[in-house]
Amino acid sequence: MTVPVTETKRERRRLFGFQHLRTRLAVLYAGLFAITIVAVAIVAQVMIRNHAQNSVRAELSTSGIVYDRIWALRAKSLTGSADVLARDFGFRSAVASGDGPTISSAVANLRARAGVANAFVVDTGGDVIGDGPADLRDAITDLPSTFADGSNNAVIATDAGTYRLIVAPILAPVEIGQVVFAVPLDATEMRALERLSAIPLSATMLHRRADGHWMSTDRTSLGDVALDRYVNGATRSSGTKLATLDLPGGKSFALAIPLAGRAETPDAALLLSYPLETALASYRSLQIGIALAGAVGLILVLLGSRRLANGIARPIAALDAAAKALEEGSRAELKVEGSDEIARLAESFNTMSAGILEREHRITHLAFHDSLTGLPNRTYFRQQMEAALIRAPKMGEKAAVLCLDLDGFKGVNDTLGHPVGDALLRQVGMMLDDLVKDGTVSRLGGDEFAIILSGRLDNDRPRALSQQIIDKFRAPILVDGHQIATGVSIGIAIGPGDGEDADLLLKSADLALYRAKQDGRGVFRFFEPALDAAARKRRQLELDLREALLTGQFRLNYQPIFDLAKDRIGCFESLLRWEHPTRGNVSPSEFIPVAEETGLIVAIGEWVMHEACRQAADWPSHVRVAVNVSPLQFRNSGFSNIIFQALTRSGLPANRLEIEITESVFLEGEDGVLQVLHQLRGMGVRIALDDFGTGYSSLSYLRSFPFDKIKIDKSFVDRVAQDESSAAIVLAIVDLAKALKMETTAEGVEDRDQLDQLRGQGCSSIQGYWFSRPVEGGAVLDLIAEPMSAAA
Amino acid sequence: MLIRLLFIALGVVSTPFAAHAATANIDVRGPDGKPLAGAVVMIDTPKKPAAPIRFTWGTAMSQRNIQFDPHVLIVPIGSTVTFPNFDKVRHHVYSFSKAKKFDLKLYGKDDTRSVLFDHAGAVALGCNIHDQMSAFILVVETPFAVQTDVNGHATIAGVPAGGATVRIWHPSIRAKDNVLAQPATIAATGFTNTYTIRGR
Repeated sequence: MTVPVTETKRERRRLFGFQHLRTRLAVLYAGLFAITIVAVAIVAQVMIRNHAQNSVRAELSTSGIVYDRIWALRAKSLTGSADVLARDFGFRSAVASGDGPTISSAVANLRARAGVANAFVVDTGGDVIGDGPADLRDAITDLPSTFADGSNNAVIATDAGTYRLIVAPILAPVEIGQVVFAVPLDATEMRALERLSAIPLSATMLHRRADGHWMSTDRTSLGDVALDRYVNGATRSSGTKLATLDLPGGKSFALAIPLAGRAETPDAALLLSYPLETALASYRSLQIGIALAGAVGLILVLLGSRRLANGIARPIAALDAAAKALEEGSRAELKVEGSDEIARLAESFNTMSAGILEREHRITHLAFHDSLTGLPNRTYFRQQMEAALIRAPKMGEKAAVLCLDLDGFKGVNDTLGHPVGDALLRQVGMMLDDLVKDGTVSRLGGDEFAIILSGRLDNDRPRALSQQIIDKFRAPILVDGHQIATGVSIGIAIGPGDGEDADLLLKSADLALYRAKQDGRGVFRFFEPALDAAARKRRQLELDLREALLTGQFRLNYQPIFDLAKDRIGCFESLLRWEHPTRGNVSPSEFIPVAEETGLIVAIGEWVMHEACRQAADWPSHVRVAVNVSPLQFRNSGFSNIIFQALTRSGLPANRLEIEITESVFLEGEDGVLQVLHQLRGMGVRIALDDFGTGYSSLSYLRSFPFDKIKIDKSFVDRVAQDESSAAIVLAIVDLAKALKMETTAEGVEDRDQLDQLRGQGCSSIQGYWFSRPVEGGAVLDLIAEPMSAAA
Repeated sequence: MLIRLLFIALGVVSTPFAAHAATANIDVRGPDGKPLAGAVVMIDTPKKPAAPIRFTWGTAMSQRNIQFDPHVLIVPIGSTVTFPNFDKVRHHVYSFSKAKKFDLKLYGKDDTRSVLFDHAGAVALGCNIHDQMSAFILVVETPFAVQTDVNGHATIAGVPAGGATVRIWHPSIRAKDNVLAQPATIAATGFTNTYTIRGR
């Protein structure tokens, strides 16, 4: 069922499927006006025709009436003439006595006097005296003195022609004969009649043939059924009805006037006709005028429609074109003309397109620029760099990349807050942009900026610029009223030598930056292949770490923590050992940073947790196991789950597990850390704060969480026996921990003096070589079994 | 003379034929079937009367009030008809009829003219001065002639029984001399017939 509908729609679309609104409007208007004009023209033509017909009818009727009148007058005059003779005593005497020659001469005399073609005397015996056609003479042998209509004249038709008869009785005093005038209604008569009319009508005398058809007297048969019907109708009714007939002269208006004959039905009729062509000829100019006016009107309408359609459609077409241009990404401003809807539309469109382009630019800008500083972002930077690197070899040029990193920016964020940090970054961006006029400054993210120097570089330019930047940033920067002392480290790589593509070059610059940072910040370093080698080495280490994790190259060693109050080993701190097949023993200080950087620390930490718990489960119940946890592990949301699983799987009671964290875990934000810590405490796990006294050592950390233990850093313990200040610090820490109801463990105890000192100060437990080096897991139980108390 | 005429009439009535005479009752109707007044009914019998024929109405045709009076006058053949003019104007009485052509030139009041009618037939009279004046004098050879009354009826007494010819004259009759003739047999008991005139 939908097929016909779509067919129809398509059909309609094809019919009216103009591509242009202008054409559609023009066609619509022109069509409507054309229809109107044609309708008006048709009505006008019909009216003209009607008017012509009416005029012709009036004219024909008038002609008929005039003819009748003239005939009445003529009949009267002829009757008078005939009467004069008929009443003449001598004539009557002659007729009564049958004096033929006298009558003949009298009739001839009368004919000449009255000016008629034929005059006769018919006596009562039917003798006709006078000259005339034989058939006429035959026809008048027996005439009444008055005819059917009471008049003394009638029209008869004979074979010789049609005649109008005027009859005057000869009374003596009874009727003894008649004087008869016969006026032939011939062509001459008809022409005379035609001349009477104001219009060039043609008059034809018709007479009825024996077979009932009507024909003209001059024997040209007009006879057709229509004519017969019309004339017969006219003889029956007295009204003048105009008909349109096909006559020899063409289609004509015709009026038949029956002429009274001897009997009731007329023998003859006068047909006045007027060719349609001629009737309309006088209106032809009017018709042509109307047609011309129509044509001119149509042309005007076409032009007007076109103009109107243009007026409407042109702005829309312009709008269409502008919209298309906008769609394709360029912008066309529309000209606003006037103040109508279209003008307003154009205005709105301009505003809209401007808005769209502006937003587009903004989006593009956002895509390629950093929203904070307004500098090009990493994407843009990479593009630029690639372009520069592609161009460089062809032109024999170089492209240098300077990677910049603010020193201590993290501290700024932490201490002054992110708004200030952001303001600092903005300012740094502006300063760099000011400094670098011959290159592109980008912000790659965080506090990392990069500069591309390309083109015909002075060989010294990267170095000079780096030095300039470092000098500039050596002075504190004023941000939001804060004097911020910051520095900048710069790594420089120069393509194509240091890297053929953008990624390689950027990596080289990054390595150089890494080196600069390692070399104490506030300096710049050029990339050297050695840096790359170091990076490769690190990457290999990372691969090895993964391998180690998979193949179980890690193992745990345990260093006992001696409980001074109970004089026994109360805890073992688990220490990770990695024995690589070729590297041998790898120091944690070497691989832990790599593990932390690569995130492997999480997996390694998980393994450590499980292993420590598994082994500690075999230990006496008063011996705890301590596991060091990296801040990165804390960041892992599943951290408490890992501990829970380790405890569950090993069956180690939670209170025998001690998690050692450093203050650095708090640097990432306290809330999350505290939540995890509380969660662990809720499980019963003990929490120890490691390396207390180093790092940031904010005492507020101690207040923020009730640690179970504080581990006093080895650096204090080393000199506790010799240095009073160290002893004071240790004492202070121990006192503080006591006050906070925390235990204390002194790390790195190496001799008797230290032990004594620490014991004297009230330290809860100690850890160090003096007591025991870390041992393999299998040696733990032996160590517990030894009489350690003696050592203490 | 009037007295003499009257006498003659009475004589006719008292003829010896009376015993064998019958009365004819004749109705005349026009072409339209209506009674035709003023028609003259004449019955010709084979035997001519011996005595001169006399009618009671005399033989005068007066002109009175620019009209002839009477309109139709029946006179026996050989009668001399007088044309007394009682009008103040003069008349010019004429006839072109075959029975009698005459022409009485203008004559005035009390100027009596007379004309001898010696042929039988209808004589149409006219006045050359006054067209509307018209009259007929029927010159008959039979005593049995009379005009129909307003009912188109004519009664003729004393008609001898036997064969006869009934003739009817009227100006409107379209026949020779405006006369219709038809044979009839007069029974002794009388004759009754109705004649309807053909014509226009």
